[in-house]
Amino acid sequence: MDSSLHEVWQAAAGSPFVPTVGKGSQFLVAFVLLVLGFTLGGAFALNRSAVTLPVLAAPASLALAFGVVYMFCAVGVYV
Amino acid sequence: MKTSAVFSAFLSLLSLGSAASSEVKSSSTSTTLPATFKPPQVFKNANLVHVISVEKNYVKENINVLVENIEKAAQHEYFVPFMADQMARLGGVEVKDRKDSTAGPFVAEAVEFDQESDIQYLRIRFPKPLAPGASQTLGITYYLLKAYKPLPASIKQEEQQYLSFSFSAYCPSAYTTSKQKTEVKFPTSTIPDYTKLPGSGDAKEFPLKQGSKLTYGPFDEKPAGATQPVSVRFEFNKPVTHVSRLERDVEVSHWGGNVAFEERYTLHHRGANLSALFNRVKWQQSQYYQPTTFALKELKFPLRVGSADAYYTDVIGNVSTSRFRSNKREALLEIKPRYPVFGGWKYPFTIGWNSDAKTFLRKTAAGGFVLNVPFLEGPRQQEGVEYEQVQIRVILPEGAENVQYHTTIPTQSITEGDVEIHRTFLDTLGRTALVIKARNLVDDFRDRELTVTYDYPLMAILRKPLVVFGSAMAVFVGAWLVGNLDLKIATRK
Repeated sequence: MDSSLHEVWQAAAGSPFVPTVGKGSQFLVAFVLLVLGFTLGGAFALNRSAVTLPVLAAPASLALAFGVVYMFCAVGVYV
Repeated sequence: MKTSAVFSAFLSLLSLGSAASSEVKSSSTSTTLPATFKPPQVFKNANLVHVISVEKNYVKENINVLVENIEKAAQHEYFVPFMADQMARLGGVEVKDRKDSTAGPFVAEAVEFDQESDIQYLRIRFPKPLAPGASQTLGITYYLLKAYKPLPASIKQEEQQYLSFSFSAYCPSAYTTSKQKTEVKFPTSTIPDYTKLPGSGDAKEFPLKQGSKLTYGPFDEKPAGATQPVSVRFEFNKPVTHVSRLERDVEVSHWGGNVAFEERYTLHHRGANLSALFNRVKWQQSQYYQPTTFALKELKFPLRVGSADAYYTDVIGNVSTSRFRSNKREALLEIKPRYPVFGGWKYPFTIGWNSDAKTFLRKTAAGGFVLNVPFLEGPRQQEGVEYEQVQIRVILPEGAENVQYHTTIPTQSITEGDVEIHRTFLDTLGRTALVIKARNLVDDFRDRELTVTYDYPLMAILRKPLVVFGSAMAVFVGAWLVGNLDLKIATRK
């Protein structure tokens, strides 16, 4: 065990960890992202082509990706 | 769990980073010596004061001893003997120089030399070797668990509880002791029975009783290994709370900005059993006219300010008899067991709560993270709580690496420190979990710190959204490919 770790903790006093999205706004952010993701996903389902894949499917996947992670956190399962 | 199983199928498609390779520094608390080992007679205890405190439901012993090096060479190892059964119940050993607090760390460790031997030794290594003829004042503190026996062993539920405790009036030592005395401190002045010894000097007999304190001695020179068994029986009308196992989980979430705590207790009452069946009517009556009882009816957990979402469950489910008060000044969780816990009874339960990550987690200048949490946060009870086995599991985010830890808990009590993998929601590889096992701790070590540092690379941070992104993209691309398949039966034109 390394006793210098306590000094590392003291030295880092000025930089507490703050998440990108705070606990209070996790549900709103997750909800908006999931709605956006499902909407874009739905639009892609109606018009599936090589062009809409990067234009609709990729942003839909991205929105769903972050939406799912934040929705997990918003409901209390802190992943 | 299903979610993580589905996503793990896509893991092979995405090489998102290297597997979590974690290092941990573990400590060993015992050394091996030959079976014929006897501590060399290189020291003499010039003066020794042995203070035994039986005020709480564990025994705290404090040996203040002036040691003299009587050998011609400098010495750096001092041995303290214990009975073999005491050794298994010994914990929280701390050694200090009573006159010089800057004397550096004394290392106390158990010596393994012969498992069959009745006498086992604790070895204390001096920070600097003690020169020939020189002396040093050591303050050795330790705790003994499961130390008492209720006498009588079974009583009525409204009766007073008495405990008995046996020890040696001469402090067990591996060296000749010139002068010594043993003080025993009790929770009350009601001490109905204690062994009397012939006195010396001004005292006709030992012990001398002053309020809630008994003093055996001072005694004149005693040889190494001298013992004088004595026993005391005293009133202890409080629960003898013993936690046979505590599992404490600390789960760190960077995405949620949260540190979640969960503690699972296996709690026993080691006091007097009931001599008749439990009578609920008498119990309710006694709550009004005689509120003090040896049954455990409430536990108070002072948590860190800012704690939220507390819960309290047992094997049946949620227990509603709890109160959680959280404001700017305090966060106090008060729980009542489902039933008053009497001697010989057991009550396993679970509590948990959340805290903001900013309270416990900081970013280091080197780009890593440092976590600082209390090692123990058990109940704060007037009568104390003892913990036989403690397992702390710090569940770090998935992909955390280079794990190092330090704790201010005495190293003699730490038995194991290891890094494992813990799999839960939305995981692909599993989270890095630092598991520290300790034994024989008491609530005096409440709020001792555990500091953990780790690295958390960007690709590991983004692993969860990237896995979901990959999964969703695979579904969309699959839908597009399936939609493009030509399944018509008609012939080509």
